[in-house]
Amino acid sequence: MSTIRVDAKVVMLGKESVGKTSLVERYVHNRFLHPYQNTIGAAFVAKPIQVGEKVITLGIWDTAGAERYEAMSRIYYRGARAAIICYDLTDSSSFQRARFWVKELQNCEELCKIYLCGTKSDLIEADRSRRQIDFHDAQDFAEEIGAQLFETSSKTGKNVDEMFQKVAEDYNSTAFQYMTEDTNVNLDQKKNSNFYSCCHGN
Amino acid sequence: MDGGTQGAAAAAWENGTLAAVDRLQSDRADSPTPGLVEGTEPGAGQRSAMFVHAQSFEDLSTEVEDREAQLGKSEGCDAEEFNVLVGEKPAQEPRNNFSSDNKTKEEDISSEAWRSHKKHIFVLSEAGKPIYTRYGTEEALSSTMGVMMALVSFVEAEKNIIRSIHADGCKVVFLTKSPLVLVGVSKTCQSDKELLRELHYIYYQIVSLLTLTQLNHIFQNKQNYDLRRLLAGSEYLTDNLLFRLERDPSLLLSAVTCLPLASSFRDVVSSGLQAAKAKNLVFSILLAGDRLVTLVRKKDQFLHHIDLHLVFNLVGSSSSFREGEGWTPICLPKFNTAGFFHAHISYLQPGSELCLILVSTDREDFFNMSECKQRFMERLSKRSAFQALKEALKCPSYSVAQVGIPELRHFLYKSKSSGLYTSPEFPTVYQTDGEQERLMRLYQDLHSALHHPTRPLRTFYRCGETENMLALVTSGFELYLCFSPLATKAMAVAAVNKLLKWIRKEEDRLFILTPLTY
Repeated sequence: MSTIRVDAKVVMLGKESVGKTSLVERYVHNRFLHPYQNTIGAAFVAKPIQVGEKVITLGIWDTAGAERYEAMSRIYYRGARAAIICYDLTDSSSFQRARFWVKELQNCEELCKIYLCGTKSDLIEADRSRRQIDFHDAQDFAEEIGAQLFETSSKTGKNVDEMFQKVAEDYNSTAFQYMTEDTNVNLDQKKNSNFYSCCHGN
Repeated sequence: MDGGTQGAAAAAWENGTLAAVDRLQSDRADSPTPGLVEGTEPGAGQRSAMFVHAQSFEDLSTEVEDREAQLGKSEGCDAEEFNVLVGEKPAQEPRNNFSSDNKTKEEDISSEAWRSHKKHIFVLSEAGKPIYTRYGTEEALSSTMGVMMALVSFVEAEKNIIRSIHADGCKVVFLTKSPLVLVGVSKTCQSDKELLRELHYIYYQIVSLLTLTQLNHIFQNKQNYDLRRLLAGSEYLTDNLLFRLERDPSLLLSAVTCLPLASSFRDVVSSGLQAAKAKNLVFSILLAGDRLVTLVRKKDQFLHHIDLHLVFNLVGSSSSFREGEGWTPICLPKFNTAGFFHAHISYLQPGSELCLILVSTDREDFFNMSECKQRFMERLSKRSAFQALKEALKCPSYSVAQVGIPELRHFLYKSKSSGLYTSPEFPTVYQTDGEQERLMRLYQDLHSALHHPTRPLRTFYRCGETENMLALVTSGFELYLCFSPLATKAMAVAAVNKLLKWIRKEEDRLFILTPLTY
C-alpha cells in the first residue's frame, strides 16, 4: 500500500476570506469558483509539478482563516518547507494578520520559507483606488523578513502558476541541504506526541 | 413560566408513555398492525444497533429537567452571578467584516418583512450579547436580545425558569444552556416541545464547532465575550440546519435514511470499511448525498443520530470538502461535549455524491486516515463494488407506485430499534417546494400528536381537502401515510398491513440490517 508521496509540504496561511482556497483552486484545478464559501478546518491536496528534469510533488495545506481554528494551525505548518502567507490587497487588516503569521513562523518554524502573496490584484487593476497595501511597503517588509513577494489574481490566474513554480524551484535548489532532516509529511507522531500535545492544549 | 408544575407534568408523562406501551402490547390483537415488538419490525438490525437512540425524541427534552434540578441546588450562587452580569457593561469589540451571501442577513429589523417571518431563532450569551440571529443582523438586535436576557434573569432570580410565552398567535420559547441562551419565536402551530427540540439542535451545532469546555472556558474568563468572533463564517451551517429542521424527515423522526442498495453490495462496502481500520479510527461513514450508505464503528462506541445529523449538515452545507481531502476538528456533542474528534472528509471521486467521513480521535492522524481511504478504495474497485454503488446512485429513491397500494401518495416508515427510516420520492403532486413544505408540516403535526407531552396518540387519522393522513406508532415502528383525498379510512387502515409486508420484503435493500464494527 502506497501513501501519497509528498516532497514538500506547503501551507497556505492568512486571514479569512483573503482567497487562500481560490488560489489553490486556480493552481490545482485551474478554475475560479463563485460564490465565496469559507473553508472548514483545512483541505489537503497533492500536486505534482515539473522542475527542470524532476517532478516534485507539493503537498498543499489550505487552512481555514477563521479564528476558531487558530489553535489547530500548528499541525498544518509544522514541518512545512514553504508557507504562502496571503493578504487581500484591498484590506489593510489582512496585512496585519499576515505580519502575525510571519512572526509565528519565524518563532516556530525556522526552516519554512515564506512567500508573501497579495491577492485579488484584478480588483486593483479595475480600480486603483481600492489598493490599501502599497506595493513598495510590502516589498520592504518582504525584504526585511527574507521573503518573496507576489501579487496574484485567482480570478484571472495572473502570477498564480509563477508563484507555485517558484516555491517548487526554491525547494528543489535547497532540498539537498536538509537531506538528513526528517521532513517527510508522513507524521512521525509517536516520537513527538507528548511534545505537541502540550503545545496545543487550548 | 411555571417551572415547577411543568416539570412535574413532564415527569408524569414520561411515566405515561411507558404505561401506553404496555397497554399497547396487550391490545395488539385488536390493533390493525401485525404484532411486532421492538427489534423484530421491518428494518430492525440483526446484530446490534448503529446508533444510540435512547428514546430519541424524548431524550432531548429530558435534559431540561436535569438542568432544572441543578439550578434548584445552586440557587444561592446563581443569584450572585446574576449581579455580576448586570453590573458589568458589555464592551463593544471590533467585529471582523466578512461578506455574507445570505441576503436575509441584511434585512431591516424594523421592517414588516422581518416581523412576518414564521420562525425566528436567536442565540445570546448570558451577558445578553447577541451570538446568532436567523434574520437580520446581530448588531441591530442587541437591545432586543438584552430584553430577552432580562426576562430570563428576572424569572431566574425568583428561582424559577422561563419556559415560554404565548401571546398574539406567537410562541416565544426559551432554552437556557449555560453559557448560552437560545430563544425561538414562532408563529407556526408547532408545540413548545418541538420548538425546544429545534433550539437544542442549534445549541449542539454551536457546541460541535467549539466544544462545551471551550465555551465555558471563554465565558468564565470574559463574560461579555463576543462569541461571533469564534463562530465567524459558520452562520450558514446554522441557517442550513434550520432549513433542514423544516424540510428533512430525518430530523423530525430522529432517524437516518439509507441509499437503497442490494445487501450483497452493501456488505462489500461495509466490510471494506471494516478492513480499512486504524488505531484511532472510531467511525467510518459513507454518505450518498443525504443518504447513508453504511456506517462502521469501533466496538462499543455508538454514534447518536443527532451527532450524525450534524455531520450530514456539515458535509451537505459546504463545498469546502470538494477541493481536496478535508481535515477538521469536530465535536460530537452527544458523544462527548468536552473534546474534538478529527474528521477526514473527502469525496470518493471528483463530482461524485459519495462522501467518506473517517472520524479519528487523534489530531495528527490525517495521513493515517488518508491511507485508510486509499485501502478502502482499492478494495472497492477490486470487488467491483464501486460500479454497483454508482449504479445505485442513479436511482437513490423509489416511487410509491412500487408498493402497489392505490391512493397512497407518500409515507414515512421508521424502524425504532435501528433508528433508520424509509420513504419514497415525492410524487408529482408534491413536486414544488411549497407543496413539499406543506406535506412536511402535515407530518410534523401528526408527529406532534403522536408524541404529545400529556396525551400521546397511538393512531391518528385526518381527513383533509387535499389529502388524508394516517399515523400510527407501536413499540417497534412509527408510520406516517399520506393518501389522496379519495381514500377512505378503511382503505388507509388496510394499507398498513400491505405496506409493512412490502417493507419486510424490501428491507435488506432499504435498511442496513447487519451493521459492522471494527
